[in-house]
Amino acid sequence: MKSLRRDVSADPHAANVTSKVFVRSTKSGKVQKIVRELYLRQDIPCSSKLCSTCPYLAPTDANGNIAPFVLSDQPAGTSDFPRGHYLVPDTNALLNGMDLFEHTGAFYDVIILQTVLEELRNQSLPLYNRLLSLIKTDEKRFYLFFNEFRLETHVRRAQDESINDRNDRAVRAVATWYSEHLRATIRKGKKEKSIPAIVVITDDKDSLRKAKDEGVTALSLPEYVASLDDSDRLLDMINESREAREAKGARGELFYPEYYTMSKLQTGLRAGTLHQGVFNVSPYNYLEGSVNVAAFDKPLLILGRENSNRSIAGDAVVIEVLPKDQWKSPSTKIVEEETVTKNDNPDAGDTEAVVTERERRALQEEVKQAHGRNSEGKPQPTAKVVGVMKRNWRQYVGHVDSGSTGQAASGRRQQTVFVLPMDKRVPKIRVRTRQASELLGQRILVTIDAWDRDSRYPTGHFIRSLGELETKGAETEALLLEYDVQYKPFPKVVLDCLPAEGHDWKVPASKDDIGWKGRRDLRDLLICSIDPPGCQDIDDALHARPLPNGNFEVGVHIADVSHFVKPNNAMDLEASVRGTTVYLVDKRIDMLPHLLGTDLCSLKPYVERYAFSVLWEMTPNAEVVSSSFTKSVIRSREAFSYEKAQKRIDDASQKDELTESMRTLLRFSKILRQKRMDAGALNLASPEVRIEADNDEVGDPLTDVKTKSMLATNSLVEEFMLHANITVASKIYDTFSQTALLRRHATPPPQNFEDLTNQLSKKRNMRLDVSSSGALADSLDKFVDPENPFFNTLVRILATRCMTSAEYFSAGAHAEPEFRHYGLASPIYTHFTSPIRRYADLLVHRQLASAIGYEGENGRAQVEGVMTRNRLEDICRNINYRHRNAQFAGRASIEYYVGQALKARGEKMSSDGGDGGIEEDGYVMRVFENGVVVFVPRFGIEGVVRLEDFVLPGDSTLRSVEERRELIVRRESDFDNEEYTIHVSDKGQTDKNRGMTVELFQRVKVNVSSVKEESGRGAGKRRVRILVLGGAK
Amino acid sequence: MPLDTSTTYPLTKLRLDGRRWNELRLLQAQISTNPASSGSSYLAMGNTTIMCSVHGPAEGRRGDATGGSAGSSGAVVEVDVNVAGFAGVDRKRRAGGSDRQSSRIATTLRAAFQSHLHTYLYPHSTISIHVSVLSADGSLLAAAINACTLALVDAGIPMPGLLCGCTAGMSGSASTPRDPHNDELDPLLDLSLPEEQELPFLTVGTTSSIPVGENAMDTDEEEMKVSMLNMDSKVHCSYVETMLAVGIDGCKQIREIMEGIVKGSKRLR
Repeated sequence: MKSLRRDVSADPHAANVTSKVFVRSTKSGKVQKIVRELYLRQDIPCSSKLCSTCPYLAPTDANGNIAPFVLSDQPAGTSDFPRGHYLVPDTNALLNGMDLFEHTGAFYDVIILQTVLEELRNQSLPLYNRLLSLIKTDEKRFYLFFNEFRLETHVRRAQDESINDRNDRAVRAVATWYSEHLRATIRKGKKEKSIPAIVVITDDKDSLRKAKDEGVTALSLPEYVASLDDSDRLLDMINESREAREAKGARGELFYPEYYTMSKLQTGLRAGTLHQGVFNVSPYNYLEGSVNVAAFDKPLLILGRENSNRSIAGDAVVIEVLPKDQWKSPSTKIVEEETVTKNDNPDAGDTEAVVTERERRALQEEVKQAHGRNSEGKPQPTAKVVGVMKRNWRQYVGHVDSGSTGQAASGRRQQTVFVLPMDKRVPKIRVRTRQASELLGQRILVTIDAWDRDSRYPTGHFIRSLGELETKGAETEALLLEYDVQYKPFPKVVLDCLPAEGHDWKVPASKDDIGWKGRRDLRDLLICSIDPPGCQDIDDALHARPLPNGNFEVGVHIADVSHFVKPNNAMDLEASVRGTTVYLVDKRIDMLPHLLGTDLCSLKPYVERYAFSVLWEMTPNAEVVSSSFTKSVIRSREAFSYEKAQKRIDDASQKDELTESMRTLLRFSKILRQKRMDAGALNLASPEVRIEADNDEVGDPLTDVKTKSMLATNSLVEEFMLHANITVASKIYDTFSQTALLRRHATPPPQNFEDLTNQLSKKRNMRLDVSSSGALADSLDKFVDPENPFFNTLVRILATRCMTSAEYFSAGAHAEPEFRHYGLASPIYTHFTSPIRRYADLLVHRQLASAIGYEGENGRAQVEGVMTRNRLEDICRNINYRHRNAQFAGRASIEYYVGQALKARGEKMSSDGGDGGIEEDGYVMRVFENGVVVFVPRFGIEGVVRLEDFVLPGDSTLRSVEERRELIVRRESDFDNEEYTIHVSDKGQTDKNRGMTVELFQRVKVNVSSVKEESGRGAGKRRVRILVLGGAK
Repeated sequence: MPLDTSTTYPLTKLRLDGRRWNELRLLQAQISTNPASSGSSYLAMGNTTIMCSVHGPAEGRRGDATGGSAGSSGAVVEVDVNVAGFAGVDRKRRAGGSDRQSSRIATTLRAAFQSHLHTYLYPHSTISIHVSVLSADGSLLAAAINACTLALVDAGIPMPGLLCGCTAGMSGSASTPRDPHNDELDPLLDLSLPEEQELPFLTVGTTSSIPVGENAMDTDEEEMKVSMLNMDSKVHCSYVETMLAVGIDGCKQIREIMEGIVKGSKRLR
């Protein structure tokens, strides 16, 4: 019998085949040995534009293209390498200095090895993704070199060689090969001088030494950066954690318990003894976190730093429930990191304890509280974090804590400072910097690198400065970064997708033109649009006209964005990433380029525009007889603002057809609204104000702040949009039973309302019926306090917060009964009416076009709406996230504007000799043991009022922040958790009348002003201060 | 594994194992490896290794219902596929019988060879083929076809030409319709196991008639026939044509290799 072994000698190619063998363990603990073939080759180009041979060897892909060569023929030089150089970083260099590599001032012409990329992916997925996107951009000239597949640079792991050593050897092998290769193949005519140096960047000392022995140029990252211009700033951007860990070495006093091993976590999760969830931090108490897990209805509490064990809001953590004797009730105290840990010293790594005495005391009191009220007995289950499945760290915007910089802040000495993130739920971050003095008073962007057991706070590094605190530019950018809004200008590839005609684009005059294919001519209809004043991106327009049979034809016309944005081109991808247009007070971050949003798509008056129309035939009682959908061409007769439209309707002398049709619309909208309300739709409220930035410098800046007013015309537009959305939703669901893009609002579980129900029954003796949305709407209507007209709105705001948020989803993801939109009381819903500013609507347009058999100019519209469910679910996830963030960003922007307006007013008043505050009505939303949360409807803001901010009788509102702060030691409070009241008085004061009692839902007089902390830890930070002056009846 | 075909291939144009899109894996084969059988072969396509032996044509089995009825006009082909427990990454203990994968391969092979071979020459007889998969690393069906062809050639059973199998896959977003404006297509030839698990692919088997007649020597262009096509994964129809073309091209390459093996083998019998 012959041997069946592979006969290698016979085949000339066989020598180039090697195999890669590795061992991996599966989730279930099995060990697998994987053997993969590896075909070594010699046609992998060096990709240097200097090379004369590689361009002829480089292989083509299936379409016959050669990948363009990346590395510059004139690489930048430094003082050490005057002839220019190519960089070859190893994995550690990338781990420690990714921000540096992304920096636009340096680090060009970088060769990324396959070995390094693989190793990086195993170590950190986010960094791997960042590196990939760097490789994809052209301007930084990063080249991914497949060293493992090239015959000359493939390195076999030697016996007893660690994988790290082998990888380091691979890096050096590449450097050697590149030097020789370039020397041999450099284009003729170029002088010997112009051969660029190959510089290996590694932080591994052993590797540096070996490189020296082998004659390879190798530098550590700091060494290399030091030779660049602007080195101080760049040096700050190196990741601190590794270096610091090495430096600390054995010194470690360990502050935090160790995480469980991954296999222990897996076992526990499977067994149900451990639970996984996302870590949330209470906005009022930074030491109190909660984790919602699938196994329980209510979130589990995580109290204190030790239990939260280095997790940061947003991390996916694994928790273990604590024994019952450690259960506590949630805190009734406001605890802010800034005030508690004011005096921590960032440098004092040795002496710091994980729980400072003050913190411990704060916690102890809570424990006492919980135990004291055991008679009442509702301590809640608590848990501790035992592992982190996935960190959700991002880049944080913050400012340097001036208290933490050293005395001698001048000079270039490296020092450690604390950065206070804008997001209150994130702990302060320890950052080492050489430019502390310059960074003071600046908004800066930092990132967290690590949080080790021996460090009380996470360690991070500086990325860049956004500008001076409180300057408009810096604060706006900070907001956008904090809410992950894509605000960079549109890149050229996106703008290339716009119609070549630009602003001169017109609807083709000839009806034979291909653009008219499948479109109905609705230009003769009296269509108008109604929008907020100054609106440029007009999404929707309406019309109504009587039909001969006595019924009415009502039409909603939506900008035909899908005509201009074709699927999967650069513009579409950009829009799908942006997801939505973000409205800030003084800025709009568009989802689509300006040209489309405000001109070509916008249904401007007096010009012809492409539209997507929904037409209904309705009886005079607004019963829908039939509905149809069509692509169309319209010409809007007028663009009204809500007020103007209202005036026109109210003006009895106007008898023209357009006004009449608006009156019809208004009448119908009222009927539709009534029907919706009867079906159990909720009338929700959110604390919204509108800023009308006329910016006349003379007036009181606060007059710009207006509470949103509802005119009948607002609800006119709203009703028809809702109606159109519902009609479209059922149409696309008919056609795409799995992949229709819909929007749902889940019915909130009753336990969400528990607190509010208790509070209402206790304070007002009213019952909140949450059994269905209709019942809730009815009971909300009954909450009227004749003396407190705002009370109803307040309850609505609180009720809204108990609900889940609405979300986009693909029809296949839920069963049909789950499609319900709770707030609108509609069985099915989607977004169709604002394609200029929401990506979801654009997708729905494509789906609807496909559903009605519209073919489009190239006959492809049919398939444009088709999408796989996986892809759609990815998109849904993204647009849900963007939608939420856009809302947060908008709110934060208004809040910032109100603060600035108050500040401007304060400055003006103080120059006139008056006091900076303004008196307003406020409402108590929550009562804590040491303060209350007050909502001020006039400005739409809510704020924490601490004990020292109660202005007791005989006290003055004129005190400064510092004077008030001193009051805290003299104040005491008497808190009644059952009655939701707090009595504030000066210590030793027995006279009940000298104190102040505040209860939940009470209307109070408050003084609102903007103050700046002058000293202490939060120095330089501006906040809106609310002083409670007393009850208002 | 850091490189996966769907995300990094567009960037690298190199596959997981360092091949280009149109390269076959290393294909090695021997015939007459098992003197105890009528014909046998051993074939390795990359890390997929297959041993095949053919018995027959022999007299039809007694009481074989299918053999009785269909066999009246020609020989019946029987195929038995056994995937060894150690062939994959995890050792599987198989309880005697065959699993779904191997019986599917067996059915496909039987159908392919039943119509391919000149069975009419052997009425009332049975040709039985035994395929043993020693190591599975993708393109199992294709490798099995090639191994069977070689073993059948070794057994001297007449056929119109060599039946060669090859796989072709498509990387990228192959489940959505192809964009006519963007002609970038990324087909892949001869998929390995990790690629198979990730991408849609098809297996194609082609044959060519041996030129007969006077002008047979004049025509360089040989007539290729697709005699087997199998696809288990979903792919949008606009890509199939490209995949098929790539697969057929792969078959052509494989046939040259196999012809070399057949011609190069020194038969001692």
